[in-house]
Amino acid sequence: MAGLVKKVYDWLLRTFWATEMDVTMIGLQNAGKTSLLRVLSGGEFTIDSIPTIGFNMKRVQRGHVTLKCWDLGGQPRFRPMWERYCRGVNAIVFIVDIADVALLPMAREELHSLMSHPNLDGIPLLVLGNKSDLPEKISVDELIDAMDLKSVAHREVSCYGISAKEETNLDAVLNWLMKFANK
Amino acid sequence: MSYGKKDEDADTGLVKVDRTQVFQEARLFNSSPIQPRRCRILLTKIALLLYTGEKFPTNEATTLFFGISKLFQNKDASLRQMVHLVIKELASSAEDVIMVTATIMKDTGGGTDAIYRPNAIRALCRIIDATTVQSIERVMKTAIVDKNPSVSSAALVSSYHLLPIAKDVVRRWQSETQEAAASTKSSGGFSLGFSSSSGNLPVNNSTMTQYHAIGLLYQMRMHDRMALVKMVQQFGAAGAVKNPAAIVMLVRLAAQLAEEDPQLRKPMMTLLDGWLRHKSEMVNFEAAKAISDMRDVTDEEATQAVHVLQLFLTSPRAVTKFAALRILHNIASFKPQVVNVCNPDIEVLISNSNRSIATYAITTLLKTGNEASVDRLMKQISGFMSEITDEFKITIVEAIRTLCLKFPSKQAGMLQFLSGILRDEGGYEFKRAVVESMFDLIKFVPESREDALAHLCEFIEDCEFTKLAVRILHLLGLEGPKTSQPTKYIRYIYNRVVLENSVVRAAAVTALAKFGVGQKDPEVKRSVEVLLRRCLDDVDDEVRDRTALSLRLMKEEDDMATKFINNADNMFALNYFEHQLVMYVTSDDKSTFNAPFDIAKIPVVTREQADAEDRTKKLTATTPSLKPPKVGPTKAAQTGAESAASASAAAQKFTSELMQIPEMKEFGNVLKSSPIVELTEAETEYVVSVVKHIFKEHVVLQYEVKNTLPATVLENVSVVATPSDDEELEEVFIIQAEKLDTDVPGKVYVAFRKVNGEGSLPISTFSNVLKFTSKEIDPTTNEPEEQGYDDEYEVAEFELAGSDYVVPTFASNFAHIWEQVGASGDEAEETLQLGGVKSIAGMFSLFTTFFGSFRLTIMFGTDVPVSQTTHTLKLLGKTVNGGRVVANVRMAYSAKTGVTTKITVRSEEEGVAALVVASVE
Ligand SMILES: Nc1nc2c(ncn2[C@@H]2O[C@H](COP(=O)(O)OP(=O)(O)OP(=O)(O)O)[C@@H](O)[C@H]2O)c(=O)[nH]1
Ligand SMILES: [Mg+2]
Repeated sequence: MAGLVKKVYDWLLRTFWATEMDVTMIGLQNAGKTSLLRVLSGGEFTIDSIPTIGFNMKRVQRGHVTLKCWDLGGQPRFRPMWERYCRGVNAIVFIVDIADVALLPMAREELHSLMSHPNLDGIPLLVLGNKSDLPEKISVDELIDAMDLKSVAHREVSCYGISAKEETNLDAVLNWLMKFANK
Repeated sequence: MSYGKKDEDADTGLVKVDRTQVFQEARLFNSSPIQPRRCRILLTKIALLLYTGEKFPTNEATTLFFGISKLFQNKDASLRQMVHLVIKELASSAEDVIMVTATIMKDTGGGTDAIYRPNAIRALCRIIDATTVQSIERVMKTAIVDKNPSVSSAALVSSYHLLPIAKDVVRRWQSETQEAAASTKSSGGFSLGFSSSSGNLPVNNSTMTQYHAIGLLYQMRMHDRMALVKMVQQFGAAGAVKNPAAIVMLVRLAAQLAEEDPQLRKPMMTLLDGWLRHKSEMVNFEAAKAISDMRDVTDEEATQAVHVLQLFLTSPRAVTKFAALRILHNIASFKPQVVNVCNPDIEVLISNSNRSIATYAITTLLKTGNEASVDRLMKQISGFMSEITDEFKITIVEAIRTLCLKFPSKQAGMLQFLSGILRDEGGYEFKRAVVESMFDLIKFVPESREDALAHLCEFIEDCEFTKLAVRILHLLGLEGPKTSQPTKYIRYIYNRVVLENSVVRAAAVTALAKFGVGQKDPEVKRSVEVLLRRCLDDVDDEVRDRTALSLRLMKEEDDMATKFINNADNMFALNYFEHQLVMYVTSDDKSTFNAPFDIAKIPVVTREQADAEDRTKKLTATTPSLKPPKVGPTKAAQTGAESAASASAAAQKFTSELMQIPEMKEFGNVLKSSPIVELTEAETEYVVSVVKHIFKEHVVLQYEVKNTLPATVLENVSVVATPSDDEELEEVFIIQAEKLDTDVPGKVYVAFRKVNGEGSLPISTFSNVLKFTSKEIDPTTNEPEEQGYDDEYEVAEFELAGSDYVVPTFASNFAHIWEQVGASGDEAEETLQLGGVKSIAGMFSLFTTFFGSFRLTIMFGTDVPVSQTTHTLKLLGKTVNGGRVVANVRMAYSAKTGVTTKITVRSEEEGVAALVVASVE
């Protein structure tokens, strides 16, 4: 009985209080954007994920909120197009491979150059350090320093460590995103 | 900007769509949530604009494109279909279209029967770049063999477009393509595949997939002749392929193969012959056309095609009749005797209410008929000339123009006809065609000269086309003074000075001057002078200048003036002159302009020579074995007459090239250059060809050598040319090519002196050995290695023969020259018995080719023989020394002995006649 009530309640929510929000996921190639999105939308983690050519769009349902997630390719040739897909979204998620220290400076540069677009002022930013399951990873504090997040202005910024593979800390990600659902 | 203006056939009641407005509205794509219906309407408008020729500037296209890419979040199938459609169209003008690759790829996958799957496939191949093609390989392979024809066709057509950008990847899809071509899923109509609203693919029973598959296979195997042959034979087998369009493609392919490889001619002809009886008309026509276009098609082969076409002449459908007749018309141009049998059927069509059919009927009959039927046909044409468009009028005028040259005795009637239609309404192109035909009559049929000139005089009295008036005035100036009553023309010309615009007035003044300069009759001279004096007051500078010059020259009694004004015997080689001028004025190199254009480099040809080539070209424009140049890669060996027509242009080019070489300056002008003779196959390591240049006392062999070996250079390249007979030719020098990089051709010259002096015409066989030092290029430094090795390479032999000394010429009275030459010179005779040649026509084409390569202009009997048993050819040429050569060739055919040919050659110079006869055998 309780199950039925819950279902009806969900249906009502979706119908009358349904909200959609746009989230753009960016980051260098191989950071794990596509893997994370697959896991968030209820799929299985796979080790042989192929690089994204262009973008990829998926919906993630969470209660009465639908997150429309735009997962963009991280290869250099797609980076100039990130900005276009960030305009007017509810939140930007920047994903970093924390087990690949060598790439951190480049990730920092790309992030800061994107954040400097006046078009994107005010859009909340969530930086995710992915692949926390790997031994050679760095800590969240180290990540914050490496990415120089303190200097990102004009917006709310947060930073979490996660693992798409082990599905660690994903709830925190969703909860953070939900905060901006109605804006 | 509106749709209505762009396409006149469109219903103007349709919504007006404006680009700027549509672009404004496109903000809709970014609004949330997506409204599928409204978005679809807007996409339709964009598609409409793009399909009717509107172009969005790059920035707008890019903005639209990104907006549209947001629509992928909505799952509505009809919307998605429109999205794919518009992305495909925008792909060429927007930037960064690669962005939607991943998303579109998801829609191309199998499993679903989504209506938009074919659209997604087509869009995908437009946005993808070469480096990414590999990642869609699996998708494409499955789509190609999909059981739904819409999907399969979409994949095949897309692969066709991808092939040039990713050859290696797409080539791997051959077996799938082969499978698609062979599958005969079903038959029936072809549906476009987006009419359903259910979101599922509608049923499609088309066999069009086969056409697409065969088209793709051809692209993949283009360079592998054996594979193509196999393909034609496999799919050409009865019943192997159902789709008529696919078979039409095979027909073309078979024809091309037969053309390229003589070995394949027979098997391909057999296939073509079979297709003549295929159940689809479209295939029959294509096969008939292919057969008629085949090089050296025999009477028997053509007869098969004609037979099938004849049946179509009585079809109730106009388009079928038209198609059949048009091909017959083409065959009639070179095999009138084969089309003859259709004459009764074609006669009926003369009065067909469809004027396009009637026109072709008449022009075909003009070609197949004999001299006797010409008058009747001309009367028929006059009957409806006013009812057909200019384009068809031109077709008719062209037919008559060749007829004039073919049957000079009919000139009066034809001139009558031409002058009649000259008075009709008509545009410039049409009038020009008529005037040109009359020019030809004047030039080549002397009996018609005075009448034709009179008609032209009348025409310029009321001629709205300045260009034509100028040309006619020029001709009057050239021909008028030679006529019995020059004063008649003077009046007509002077009228122009009074009544016309300045361009025509200037032309008239120059024409007038030609009557005055060198004029023997003092009366005429005085009146020309009076008339010219009046022009000194003209308001136009050019007119006054020309007048003053002419008056001054009229006072000169010497040859100088005559040469200047009346120069009718020699002229610059105009084609070459024009080419050089264009090259000069369009030069990118500023320093070119430091020196003025040097006219001395332009060779001069005699008018006779120019006329002869002109006539040959005109007559053969629609005669035997002369096919219009094929588009595409078919390398057609030049037939005799074609090469004759271009020979003098080639000689002009060479003269100026050779004059740049200091060693050859003292040789003087090139008297004659041969066509290029290939001494190797085109695919060999070293490709060598030779051109023979005849000078007064020398012969120069110009070898062109190309080294095709990658990563090697040849140094100090020379050719050892050994004449079989070194009594008459003595080597003077060799100019070698210093260095030949891969694929960059270079030249080697070997010069010989004629031991017996100016007048001699040495003939010989040359053997040729290429000598050089070969060096490999070091891949690390890109420099050739220090030490090379010396090597030799023997290439084919070639002949220096009688024909190398003969140039074309023209004269209007053959009988006269025959006697003249006979009186002064030498004669040789030869009778040949050719049992193997089965008809006069066969013999004829043999001879035209032969004499064509000999540079003798055929003066009489060019046309394919009317009689099946006897035929006479008369030919005329000139040696480089200026002596004339005439030939009379009589052929007789009997079933028993084949063709007997008697060749009589006369020449002004001693020994030449024998030389020509000798080379016939
Ligand atoms: N160990 C581990 N590997 C991961 C994790 N997330 C992703 N990967 C692996 O990292 C690789 C790249 O993952 P993707 O999701 O394709 O990377 P991406 O950011 O989408 O790459 P682009 O599309 O090229 O921008 C894959 O081999 C994944 O299996 C993780 O949390 N832990
Ligand atoms: Mg990805």
